[in-house]
Amino acid sequence: MTNLLTIESIHTFIGQFHILEGISLTVPQGSITALLGRNGAGKTTTLRSIIGLNAPRTGQIVFDGMTIQGRPAYEIATLGIGYVPEHRAIFRDLTVEENLKIAERRKGDLDRKTDLIFELFPDLKRFYRLDGGKLSGGQQQMLAIARALVPDNQLLLVDEPSEGLAPLIVEQIITVLRQLSEHLTVLLVEQNFHMAAQLADRYYILDDGHSVHNGHMADLVEDHALIARYLGTGS
Amino acid sequence: MVNFLRLNRNVLIAAFAILLIFVWSFQQFEPQVTVSILLSGLTLGALYFLVTSGLSLIFGLMDVLNFAHGVLFMFGAYLGYTLYANPRLLINILPFICVIVGGALVSSWVLQRWSVRVPSIQTAQTLVVGCWIGAGVLLFLGVRGFDLTALSAGAATAAGGAIATQEAQESIGSYVGRLILLTAAGLAIGVARGVRPLHSINQQVRWRPLVFGVAMILIAFALLPFRTSVEQLILGMSSNWRFVLALVVGAIGGAAVGALIEWSLIRPLYDRPIYQILVTLGLVFVGTELIKGVWGPAGYFMETPAFFNQRGENCPSPNLLAWFSDNCASIDVLGRPFPSYRLFIIALGIVIFIAIGLVLQRTRLGMIIRAGVQDGEMVQALGVNVRQVFTLVFALGTGLAALGGVAAAPFIGVNPNIGQEFLLQAFIAVVIGGMGSYVGAATGALLVGMARAFGDQIVLSGIQLPGMAEAIQMSPSIARASTVLIMALVLLVRPTGLFGKKD
Repeated sequence: MTNLLTIESIHTFIGQFHILEGISLTVPQGSITALLGRNGAGKTTTLRSIIGLNAPRTGQIVFDGMTIQGRPAYEIATLGIGYVPEHRAIFRDLTVEENLKIAERRKGDLDRKTDLIFELFPDLKRFYRLDGGKLSGGQQQMLAIARALVPDNQLLLVDEPSEGLAPLIVEQIITVLRQLSEHLTVLLVEQNFHMAAQLADRYYILDDGHSVHNGHMADLVEDHALIARYLGTGS
Repeated sequence: MVNFLRLNRNVLIAAFAILLIFVWSFQQFEPQVTVSILLSGLTLGALYFLVTSGLSLIFGLMDVLNFAHGVLFMFGAYLGYTLYANPRLLINILPFICVIVGGALVSSWVLQRWSVRVPSIQTAQTLVVGCWIGAGVLLFLGVRGFDLTALSAGAATAAGGAIATQEAQESIGSYVGRLILLTAAGLAIGVARGVRPLHSINQQVRWRPLVFGVAMILIAFALLPFRTSVEQLILGMSSNWRFVLALVVGAIGGAAVGALIEWSLIRPLYDRPIYQILVTLGLVFVGTELIKGVWGPAGYFMETPAFFNQRGENCPSPNLLAWFSDNCASIDVLGRPFPSYRLFIIALGIVIFIAIGLVLQRTRLGMIIRAGVQDGEMVQALGVNVRQVFTLVFALGTGLAALGGVAAAPFIGVNPNIGQEFLLQAFIAVVIGGMGSYVGAATGALLVGMARAFGDQIVLSGIQLPGMAEAIQMSPSIARASTVLIMALVLLVRPTGLFGKKD
């Protein structure tokens, strides 16, 4: 299996704070990789470093054979990376349709994908003309994922999709992400270990800006000591 | 029902307040006085709107508080006036700007096309500093000894009057020399702005900047032999067409200067917002002095075009329809004459309001702007080049302000103080309406305009409250204070302004 994304010891600062202190990781093509760790471990910053919203000061990020660190975010996104941020970042004053339309990189992107999107998220079809701000949290999360599907992306960066959602909706999102991973590579940040364990093939555990552990998800599920030490939950 | 009331609370309160003011003013003044106050308020509101719309869009999208907006309004007024009354000045300065901008575009395009890569950051810095110094020297040599006063002196001549064109202009030979020096300066500026230690991965080459840059340089040189005939052509047009041309040129000029300001001064400072504010504040003083330097400290009076200034026994026109055939300077409104040019300003304000609204609601650019106002970072992460949109919106906003300046020129005159005066009122209007809201900008502008108009009338006639024997006389400063008073009241009730969403 080839690696779609390779990160080599990146250091990222926000203001004067040294957030990522040499993170390295690889994301194999066609898999779901989970980033785990406590709050403030640097999971979100890792995703933001990849997409270019917090450019790393040193280190290298290679996506699909191209070095991308230091490029403006819009250029990186155009190479085929879809970003589903924390708190969804839905445009409240735009309709559902416009929220999807704005993600088009070429004319007609949305028309080609509407069938797929409506099949995955029937709710979005019902509320197509409604303002994004009027949707429920779960619907907004679905819209955020759908938005990342409009252009032909190879990699999805998904940040805490289960945050603040009811268990039933979390199950729906798990189903959708599993369906998507048949065609796409996913890098998933998730606090909900139950969700990450169901979805991911491989995992990385971040702690205080370092990558402290990685391996196959199946092995981690068995290792209760490791989970308790870095993830703080007994599950 | 309750839900409806709650959702539309602001609109209802506003409607009620407006109704109250209507009742009060009809009771206070005779109906024709009220109507003429309302029309004056609308006129001022339309002018303020042209300034506030851009100010609010720019703040909403890129969080830049553009103090230089008033200067661009004033610049538009001067530019429009110059084209209208003294095109010679423009024809002699325009080629300079064309070759500098054209040169900068060409050289930065070349750097990008061949992905020129500087080995290290140190080399890049040295190169940038060297290029700026070189550009400065070339600029100085290019404009040294250029006699502006001889050109602007003709401005005192009335529109359409004969101006002795030949003697004030430099010979073509020495002018070409200046143009060559300035082209070189432009090339150096382009290198200084275009050098980056990394080249772009976006290998897609766009030809438009190169074509545009070369075209600007060529036009500047090609225009020279025809400069006298171009001037005659413009002065020979009817004043109506000249005025339309002035509106177009003023708006385009303002947009171009705005784009230049964003590209050169604002863009490097997006990470340092305080510095941005200082830069735009500095531009107010620099811009005002530059305008005084070129056009002189005294003001000018701009004639209204023929379409709005006919006099005769039929005047004032009895109604709007009659005015379309006799073009009187004023129209009879309930027995009082009202200047017809002000109706044009109102119409212009309404047309622009609708046009910008359509752009915001119906186009992809508008969609990006609305999304960017809320979360510019996310728009960028979706693959949209937000910086490019920033430049475009900055140009659009300053272009609107400049358009407002041209439209205002025949109404309030052209002098170096109008910029500051309008900027202050526009800021108040934007704060009232709510930063970053388009409808808010329009509402705020209208409220400020109305407050000024009512304030002026109250100063004239005083206020008579029920049960009072004599009217209270107000000092003239109440007209100015009224807008601030409204702002204070609005902010007490709604700290984000009437339609504001941002803090």
